[in-house]
Amino acid sequence: MKSLKVLVIENEDVICNACRLVLAEKGHEVDISNTGKSGLIAVSRNGYDLVLLDIKLPDMDGMDILKILKENVPTLRVIVMTGYATLSNAVQAMKLGATEYLPKPFTDDELVAAVEKACEGL
Amino acid sequence: MTSTSFENYFHVIRDIIGAMHSLTDLQDVLDVVVAKLTQGLKAKGALLRILNKETNRFEVRAAAGLGERYLNKGPVTTETILSTLPEPGEIYIITDIWNAPRVEYPQQTWDEGIRMLLDIPLAVEEQQITGLLRIYLTEQRELSKDEHDFLKTIAKQCACVIERVDLIQKQQSHFNHLATQVEKGSSLARMAAGIAHEINNPLAGILLYSSNMHKKVPKGSHLEEGLKIIIKETRRCKTIIQGLLDFAREQEPHRLPVNINNVINSAVGIVENEFHLRHVKIQKELAHDMAEALLDKHQIEQVLINLLLNALHAVDSRGLVTLRSAVDRDRRKVLAEIADNGCGIPKEHLEKIFEPFFSTKANGTGLGLAVSYGIVKNHNGDIRVWSEPARGTRFMIEFPLATDASVPKERK
Repeated sequence: MKSLKVLVIENEDVICNACRLVLAEKGHEVDISNTGKSGLIAVSRNGYDLVLLDIKLPDMDGMDILKILKENVPTLRVIVMTGYATLSNAVQAMKLGATEYLPKPFTDDELVAAVEKACEGL
Repeated sequence: MTSTSFENYFHVIRDIIGAMHSLTDLQDVLDVVVAKLTQGLKAKGALLRILNKETNRFEVRAAAGLGERYLNKGPVTTETILSTLPEPGEIYIITDIWNAPRVEYPQQTWDEGIRMLLDIPLAVEEQQITGLLRIYLTEQRELSKDEHDFLKTIAKQCACVIERVDLIQKQQSHFNHLATQVEKGSSLARMAAGIAHEINNPLAGILLYSSNMHKKVPKGSHLEEGLKIIIKETRRCKTIIQGLLDFAREQEPHRLPVNINNVINSAVGIVENEFHLRHVKIQKELAHDMAEALLDKHQIEQVLINLLLNALHAVDSRGLVTLRSAVDRDRRKVLAEIADNGCGIPKEHLEKIFEPFFSTKANGTGLGLAVSYGIVKNHNGDIRVWSEPARGTRFMIEFPLATDASVPKERK
C-alpha cells in the first residue's frame, strides 16, 4: 500500500496521538485537527487521501462535517469513529458517504485493517 | 309503603346514587350513605364497616347518629362479622339485643336506646362480602317488602362503589409504578449513551497503545503477558458498555406473525453445541397445534438463548433442560417454557434477577435477564419464574395470540 496522507479529526489528544503512532509506523503521514472547523479548513487547504472522523466533536456535529467533506471532495475516503455505536448511526454515516465505520475502542490492527479497506485502490 | 314514605325513600336513593356518581372519594360516598339511610329510615344511626383486605378485618369507615363511646370499639374480626350472617343480598334482623350472638356490647347498645338492628352484607353479585352495613333502630317494627328492597338496593350499590374505588386505586398504583419505570428507562438510556461516550474514548487510547506496544515487547516476557491482560480487560469493558447500551436502548421490535416453535428450534440450534460439550440434554415438548404470535424473531431468539444459557450454567453436567410450548386458548396466549433441574435460585435473589447489573456469575454483566425482560414487555408479553434451590428453575414467557395483538406503528 502506498503512503497515505491522513487527517485525524478528533478532540481527544490521546486518541489522535495513538492513531498517528500506529499509522506512521505503517508509513503514512498523519495530521491532527482537534475541532470540526479546523478539520474542514485543513482538508480544503492540504488535500488528504483519508480522514478519520470522530462523530462527536465539541464544535460541530460529526454527521454535518461528513456531509460537507463529501460534498466538497467526493473522492475523499472517510472512516467514522464513534464511542456510541448504534446501528442507526452506522447506517446514517454510510448513507452520507462514509467509507468505513469504526466503533471505539479499537486495536491498532483493527485501525490498520479499516484504513486498508477504506483506501483500497488508491 | 305510603306515597310519602315512597317519596322519602326515593329521595334517599336519589341522593346516594347521586353521591356515588359525582364523588370520587370513597369516604364522601360512605358518609352520604350512612347519613341518608339514618334519615330515610328514621333510624337512630347507621354504621358501615369495610373489609381491609390486608388485615382481614372489618373496619368502621363511616357512622352516623352514634355516640363516640360506641364508635371507639375498633375493628371487628372477620369471623365475628361473618358468623350467622345470611347470604349476601339478605338482611339479618336482630330484635333480641341481649342474646343475639352478633351484638358484642349489649349493655352499651341498650343504653344508646337501640331496640332493633339490621345487618346488611355488602357484596357484588354472590362474591365475597366486602363490607357490612348496620342500621340501629329505636323501636322494633316490621320491615315492609319495599323497605327490604330499598335496603338491598342501597347495599348492592354500595358494594359496587367499594369495588370500583378499589379497582381504580389498584390501577392508579399500577399506573404510577409504570410511570416510574418509564421515567427510569429514559433516564437510563440517556445515562447509558453518556457513559458509552465518556468511557469508550479513554478505552480507545488504552487499547490502541497497548495493542501497539504488545507487538514491540519480547514474546513470552512479563511485559507481553501484562499487555495481553490489558487488551483483554479493555475489550471486556467494551462488551459491558455495549450490553448497557443494548439494555437501555429502546428497541422497537419488528413484529411479524411467527410460530414460536420455529424460534425455539432456531435458538436451540445455536446453543446445541455448548450443551453437547457439557453433556447436558435438551428435551423439547412443543405443541403441535401452535398458533402464531406477533414476534420479532431475532429478539425472542435472543431471549430464548439467554434463558437456555442460564439453564446450562445452572445444571451440572448430565443435567436436563426441558423446552415446552403451548397455546392457552382460554387466555388467548402463546406460552414457552424453559425448565432445568439445576441448582435453583435462592429466594432472596428471585426478586432481583430482572434488575440490571444483578449477577451471581463471576464474569456476568447482569444484563441478560434485564434485556430479556425488556424485550418480552415490548411485545406486550410476560415473563415469570419459579425456582426451588437444588430442584431447578422454570422460566415461562407468554405472548398474546397474533389475532389479538395490535401491531405497533413503525418507527419513523
